[in-house]
Amino acid sequence: MSTAGRSIPFKAEFDVNSQEFSLSGVVRPRSIDEIAVNISMLKAAIDQVRGVLYINVKRLVQMNNTAFHAFARVVLDACQARPDIRFVIVTSSVVGWTTRMFGHLNQIEPQITIEVYDSKFYPGQSFVENTSFIPILRTQTKMTWRHERTILPRHGMRPGITMADICCGIGDFVVLVQKEFQPARIVALDHSKASLAYARDVAAGFGITDIEYTYGDASEMLLEGNQFDFVSCRHSLQIFNQPDALLAELYRICKPGGRVYVTNEKNSHCLGEPRSQSIQWTYNEVAKLFSHFEMDVELGPKSRRYLADAGFEDIVVESFMVTNLDGDAQDFADVIAAWEDVYAGEMSVKRGDSSEFIQRFRQGFQDHIFAALHPKGYAGWPIWVASGRKPR
Amino acid sequence: MDVAEKAPAEATFEPLLQIEMEMGTFLSNWHHCDQLSTFMARIISHNRTDPVRHSNFFSSALNELLEVSFRGGSPDGQIGCAVYRHGRTERVKLTFPCLSRQRQFFSEAVSNTRREDALARYLDSISTGLTPSRDVVLLDLAINFDAQIRLENSAPQSITLVVDLPLEGIVS
Repeated sequence: MSTAGRSIPFKAEFDVNSQEFSLSGVVRPRSIDEIAVNISMLKAAIDQVRGVLYINVKRLVQMNNTAFHAFARVVLDACQARPDIRFVIVTSSVVGWTTRMFGHLNQIEPQITIEVYDSKFYPGQSFVENTSFIPILRTQTKMTWRHERTILPRHGMRPGITMADICCGIGDFVVLVQKEFQPARIVALDHSKASLAYARDVAAGFGITDIEYTYGDASEMLLEGNQFDFVSCRHSLQIFNQPDALLAELYRICKPGGRVYVTNEKNSHCLGEPRSQSIQWTYNEVAKLFSHFEMDVELGPKSRRYLADAGFEDIVVESFMVTNLDGDAQDFADVIAAWEDVYAGEMSVKRGDSSEFIQRFRQGFQDHIFAALHPKGYAGWPIWVASGRKPR
Repeated sequence: MDVAEKAPAEATFEPLLQIEMEMGTFLSNWHHCDQLSTFMARIISHNRTDPVRHSNFFSSALNELLEVSFRGGSPDGQIGCAVYRHGRTERVKLTFPCLSRQRQFFSEAVSNTRREDALARYLDSISTGLTPSRDVVLLDLAINFDAQIRLENSAPQSITLVVDLPLEGIVS
């Protein structure tokens, strides 16, 4: 059987600066002798820390009882020997058994507490996982699909492949891909349970049963390595505060010879006529606003560098412009109105902007809508597409 | 308590997957536990609501069962592992050859999973034991995976563990 070779390898690490001992991967030893080095590392970490030791098991995919008891034994003994330190075990909401299993340690020693890593996954998460985003995401995909359906084959999309769509949102992109290209297998992952519930409903409504929707953390996925011919991640590197960490995971799950496909924006390049100056001012401010929340909505043209730095080869980059002339101009206007609601109505308010600023900020979106619906107007939203091949 | 118990009146479980292997072959490599549990979990989880997370959970439970058989089984005969489904529950039937004294041990271990003090016993074992006993592994399944465990009649010199895992409800 070849499954073991694709398992996520076990790793134990200690970062003295953050006082964090991390366990990741799959650890199923026959005896504790096999993990003696790691046990010693934990003991040494306990000797070095003051105040609190974080034990991070967020990326612990599998741990058998032999390993659990051995690590638990060390921590429980340390609670007796070192009453001056606290132990915080950080589990993941994605790997449910870890929270159940490690949670018992608190019942034995109150010095040990459990934190489930979830809601503060990245700084802008609360905005993009808000269910009010769902209608706008659907309309956005409808508009971008007109372009991407012809672009995708140039980036490796073809029938019969295995693909993963990471940060799939409401899953409408993979439904369209499945209808158009018939991949053999599709896994779609997102960190929003509300979006995934919506995605499953949509798929069921279309009678689609073979898309595997899964809840997960895109930067620390349960998916095994080297298994997908095509990995897409659309409009997500730009809202993630560590795009390189996300790309590393996309690289890991992609097969050697397969391709990773990303789309991103450069918001300051949104444009419209008439009222171009007001529109330009607002979208420059959009970029600054997202930057305040550690998101880079100017990332689009940087995709080539990110892919190269992540180790990809044969990098292909192109761009397209979604405009009010593509289809129904009202769709374009609806998307801009939704942006105004979230960016001016929520994010700008949260940043603490003045009412004068927010009024001017809103005006640019309204002018963009004006341009989109104007009988002689033109409104655009540029998107950069990039893909790279994982070396064989 | 009898070694084997009568299955309670219940709905029909549909068969999903079954593997059989010479016990000697199985015992030849510890990694067979990990490989089989990973492989079987992926296959049976593909049409669950969240296949990846269901597979992770199921693999975790099945691996413990296979490790129990690895540590307690004897090399003559076959190991068989079948998975069935009813609604939100998967049923694992694991049959493997073992000595008669092992049957008595498993009978008691299974019985302990249903006692009122199961959680206290489990916590006590974590507090005191350096390595888990097979008894504790079954308690782990009952407590952390909400497993219902029983024994079923099987051929002499073998044992059949029947473990119901309502993981779909936990995962989703």
